[in-house]
Amino acid sequence: MIDILSNTSHVHLLLNHVPTTAFVVALVLYVVSLFNGSEAFKKAGLAMFFLIAAVAIATYTSGSAAEAWLRGVGAKSDLPPDVVPAAIHEHEDAALWATGLMLLTGFFAWLALWQWKTIKRLPSWNTPLVLVLAVLSFVAMSRTAYLGGHIHHLEIRPDVVARHQACLALVDEEVKHPGSVPNAPENCPWQAAADQVNASGGSDPAGAATPNLARRLGDFVIGHTWMWPTLETLHFVGLCMLFTVVLIVNLRLLGAIRMVPVSAVYQMLPIGMLGFAVNLVTGMLFFVGIPSQYNANPVFYWKIVFVLLGGLNVMYFMLVDDAWRTPSDRDVTAGPRIAAASAIVIWVCVLYCGHMLPFIGNAF
Amino acid sequence: MMSLLQQIEASGFSQWVKQSGSLWAFPGILLMHTYGMAILVGIITGIDLRILGLMPAVPLGPLRRFFPLVWTAFWVNAVTGTMLLAADATSKMRNPDFGIKMLFIVLAVITQRMIQTRVFGDPDVDAKPFSSNSKMLAVMSLVCWLGAITAGRLLAYVGNPGGL
Repeated sequence: MIDILSNTSHVHLLLNHVPTTAFVVALVLYVVSLFNGSEAFKKAGLAMFFLIAAVAIATYTSGSAAEAWLRGVGAKSDLPPDVVPAAIHEHEDAALWATGLMLLTGFFAWLALWQWKTIKRLPSWNTPLVLVLAVLSFVAMSRTAYLGGHIHHLEIRPDVVARHQACLALVDEEVKHPGSVPNAPENCPWQAAADQVNASGGSDPAGAATPNLARRLGDFVIGHTWMWPTLETLHFVGLCMLFTVVLIVNLRLLGAIRMVPVSAVYQMLPIGMLGFAVNLVTGMLFFVGIPSQYNANPVFYWKIVFVLLGGLNVMYFMLVDDAWRTPSDRDVTAGPRIAAASAIVIWVCVLYCGHMLPFIGNAF
Repeated sequence: MMSLLQQIEASGFSQWVKQSGSLWAFPGILLMHTYGMAILVGIITGIDLRILGLMPAVPLGPLRRFFPLVWTAFWVNAVTGTMLLAADATSKMRNPDFGIKMLFIVLAVITQRMIQTRVFGDPDVDAKPFSSNSKMLAVMSLVCWLGAITAGRLLAYVGNPGGL
């Protein structure tokens, strides 16, 4: 088990099915709710959009780690011969778009769940916005999955398939009419077709030498001296906004400031989600800037685990209605209390892991 | 003055902070400084935004119960900040960015004291809308803490950076 979970390549294979297969379930629930008006279906769809967006963070980062794992370390580190490097770059760019769209969908899905409790009726723009974002996310993520398949499955790469079939045709011709095809190969291994594609620079010979979108974005981040300090400062600002909510809301749930109704502190939640959004965007830019700092960094791995737990924790709170109706001078029940204490522990751990990235791991 | 700073920097404690490589030394002290910042600025941000009109259902008065936590976090950061300063005294004291950070913190502390006495001191704080003076203090508080965080983060980059 430990072996499986410490192999980042395997972790990526585990996670990469969630943003497509689970997302289609969420999308179906959501679309059905638009026709039958079921609140339960709609809430389930929105909650799934949010949770799958959280998983998409781990899927994206584990993908980068998977490439590093595949290359290995040391002087002879390289991709296996069956892998077409251009396929990884195409997959990474598609993943960047898809993850971005999915995170946006998750954000507005959360906002819908939040608004549900405060104003009873959703604002008219939210439902179509979430629908459009979800459909775009699904299309982009499906494309990412398709391109990801190309990395190891030569038999679904159109460029490799074309060469393989051309080769088979030549051999067939030579077998039927011996001597008709000079230099005909004896047989047609898939690897030979992949080698030819690799030799010609992949499916996009002209673009093979130019960095892909993710790398260009990364180069923009590390190419400007002001960029990294600015992102770090914003990361601290987002952290403070997140802790505004983590502390005030959860301490109320645990019994501090009991004279304040829980329904009132509920109004604070978007500040925390906005802080998290700031940190997610700045954090992703750090990651895209220098992925090698995080790919094999155990503290980063744990940070992502705790962020996922944080996502689950948030969803628990979005789906328990009773706790948020607690008036002043009343305590919430045991469930929300445990969740509130967990929330504080989870975010303290996220901050710990983030802080220790350069000290225990290899980031700076 | 410089020789005093050099003595501080050469002391056993400063050397331990800087060079021991222990996770309890520089990384641990900086971690406490970061937790302190999260609690201090986190709670103050909530209070400031409330004064500025966000989250209107939350009564402001009861939030005064968080002041002990806020000031505990402040003193944790004053102590850990002094430790970090001792480890790198000569270059920090010559770094204008460090002076800017201290200026922002002094102004932020004064603002926080004024918010506590003037805004929270009013027994009818939640009975009427906040005055423009109160809102001014809240803006001042947000600006000063943002300035302190920015100047603090930049200490790792400008002047003669001695650490992270």
